[in-house]
Amino acid sequence: MLLRWQARAGVRLALVQTLIVVLAFGLAGYLVQISLRQISQASIRTHVAGEVASLDDEFEQKGAHHLPYTVAKRSRLWRGFEYRLISANGALLAGKLPGSPALGWSRLSSDGPGGGRRHYLTYTKLMPDGARLTVGQDLAVEAGEMAAIDRSLVMCGVLGVMFCVGASYLFARGTWRRIAAVVATAQAVAQGRLTVRVDGHPGPPRDDIDELSSAFNEMLDRIGLLMAQVRQVSTDIAHDLRTPLTRFNQKLERLRSAAGVDPAMLRAIGGLEDDVSEILRTFDALLQLSEIEAADRGAQNKIADLAEVAARVGEAYRPDIEDSGRSLIIDVRPALVNGDGDLLAQGLANLLENALRHTHKGAQVQLTVNALPEGAELCVQDDGPGIAPEQRQRALRPFVRLEPSRSSGGSGLGLAIVAAVAARHAARLSLEDAAPGLRIGLCFPAVASGQTPEKLALIS
Amino acid sequence: MLAQSELRDGKCGCPQGPFGLSAVRILLIEDEPASASYIAGRLEEIGWSVEIAADGAVGVSRAVHGEFDVLIVDRMLPAIDGLSLVRTLRAQNINTPALFLTAMGSVADRVEGLESGGDDYLLKPFSFEELRARLQILAKRRLPQDAPSTVLVAKDLKLDRLQRSVSRGERAIDLLPLEFKLLEFLLLHAGEVVTRSMLLQQVWGFKFDPQTNIVETHISRLRGKIDLGGAKPLITTVRGAGYLIAPA
Repeated sequence: MLLRWQARAGVRLALVQTLIVVLAFGLAGYLVQISLRQISQASIRTHVAGEVASLDDEFEQKGAHHLPYTVAKRSRLWRGFEYRLISANGALLAGKLPGSPALGWSRLSSDGPGGGRRHYLTYTKLMPDGARLTVGQDLAVEAGEMAAIDRSLVMCGVLGVMFCVGASYLFARGTWRRIAAVVATAQAVAQGRLTVRVDGHPGPPRDDIDELSSAFNEMLDRIGLLMAQVRQVSTDIAHDLRTPLTRFNQKLERLRSAAGVDPAMLRAIGGLEDDVSEILRTFDALLQLSEIEAADRGAQNKIADLAEVAARVGEAYRPDIEDSGRSLIIDVRPALVNGDGDLLAQGLANLLENALRHTHKGAQVQLTVNALPEGAELCVQDDGPGIAPEQRQRALRPFVRLEPSRSSGGSGLGLAIVAAVAARHAARLSLEDAAPGLRIGLCFPAVASGQTPEKLALIS
Repeated sequence: MLAQSELRDGKCGCPQGPFGLSAVRILLIEDEPASASYIAGRLEEIGWSVEIAADGAVGVSRAVHGEFDVLIVDRMLPAIDGLSLVRTLRAQNINTPALFLTAMGSVADRVEGLESGGDDYLLKPFSFEELRARLQILAKRRLPQDAPSTVLVAKDLKLDRLQRSVSRGERAIDLLPLEFKLLEFLLLHAGEVVTRSMLLQQVWGFKFDPQTNIVETHISRLRGKIDLGGAKPLITTVRGAGYLIAPA
């Protein structure tokens, strides 16, 4: 299963990093802007105070009557300041600044000549003759400078974020790939391929991911060893039990020849032979089960037609089902699946035997195969007693027989074999109430792309 | 029942030794004395000649120098194991058919056995009749084979493989496709015992052993159709082994 990209730990980390970088740049920019504004205001104040001091000096040197001329001249020549000189009785002597600000520092706004408001920082001084001199500087210049500074700050921020994202991508990309390799290996193992290993860095681990990979590989080695031991044990049991059973069988055959036509003796020998074959059936079923479970699923690139398998197995069982007083309905439509036809036949045979064994006389068994958009479905349904919902999972376990007497024959491995076949084909196995009866469904995934019926024709 | 008890001691309708050979010559490579003497004893009862080799090394040298129709090879042997033994023989271009006898019954084991050059694979424990049926088929391989004819005949039963029709005497018999296939297989091996597992594999394509005896039910239906009207039964059951249609 593939995660959405937002859910990957690396992407989340990068997103969080980016957010932190953006916030840090924003805060730094804000602080820089505040201090720059303070510096800029302080410098405006210095300039304005200097101009006021210069006019004060004019007043001292040339007298009160000369000041309006000086102010008017400076206003005309425009040295970057605006002025307002008001006489002690309130008449405007020179300058263009509006309003009548209080003494000391203040801010003024006015409608400029071309429209639009202009803002000034002004200083007003009371001259010795009672006149009020106001000198102000237009803040538009300062605002323009601040805007330019803001633009640079934003540019720096964007570049910084891009740099951070790029760096973390370059750094994390390798990590993501290595984690993805571990995930892919784990998925392959989950599908039964125990031989795969994570491609690791040779030698001592460089970092925690190397450590993870090598620990993961060690774990797989250990699992492989245990599985091999289990297989070895079952092979050994097979050998050690089959050899004495062979001798047992041979002795029975000798007895049978010696018994001649004595009917009691022949019956007894027949009973013994049935017992041996029952032991062997359970034994075979157990070996089949461990074989299906242990098989390496990596090599599974065969295609089987579920309908062909179902028709073949169904027709093979039809005489037994019909002779036992039950009926069989086979309704199959072509449906290709990725899988092993032999194993599918084995699984289906177990389903039919199960239906044959656990239904009453007169029961109806239905075998259907349908092609669905999401894959193919094989279904065996009967109208027998069914299985209680709480018992259904348990019924799939080896040696579990639901009737307490264990009297209905069979090894108790049939449905476990079906479950193993389903797992090997990544098929979903469902046990449902058919009201009345049991409906066992196997939903196979759609055939992997690239394998078309034409290719199938070539293979067969 | 009468037919079965007749068959048990090798007195069936088939000739002693298959198809004109006076006796089948067997090399039995088996380390377990009890099994070896039992198998040899039963085979000699039906007139075959058997030589026993108790380990793999002796087995190889006997198989190289002797003249045998079939080798019976146990897979687990002292000195040289069964697989290596057959590989060694095949490498020396000795192509005597070989049947593995083994307790190792998984599909992987079977495939391994057949890939090493073995011709058949029989799982322990086995019934003697099953072993004999398989040995007979292997021994017959050594004889020149005629192309199978398109019309198969057994007594008054005729099966036309091209027209896909079956008749007994004057009476046409209507068979389902599967029944036709089953009868065809039995007729192609007329005079030989055909075992349950051969039928499962060849007629139904089952590579596993079902828990239900489905073959028996199919055979009994087939018998019902071809022996209809009290005709003499054509298919005989061979106890512990399988089924047999006697040739003409």
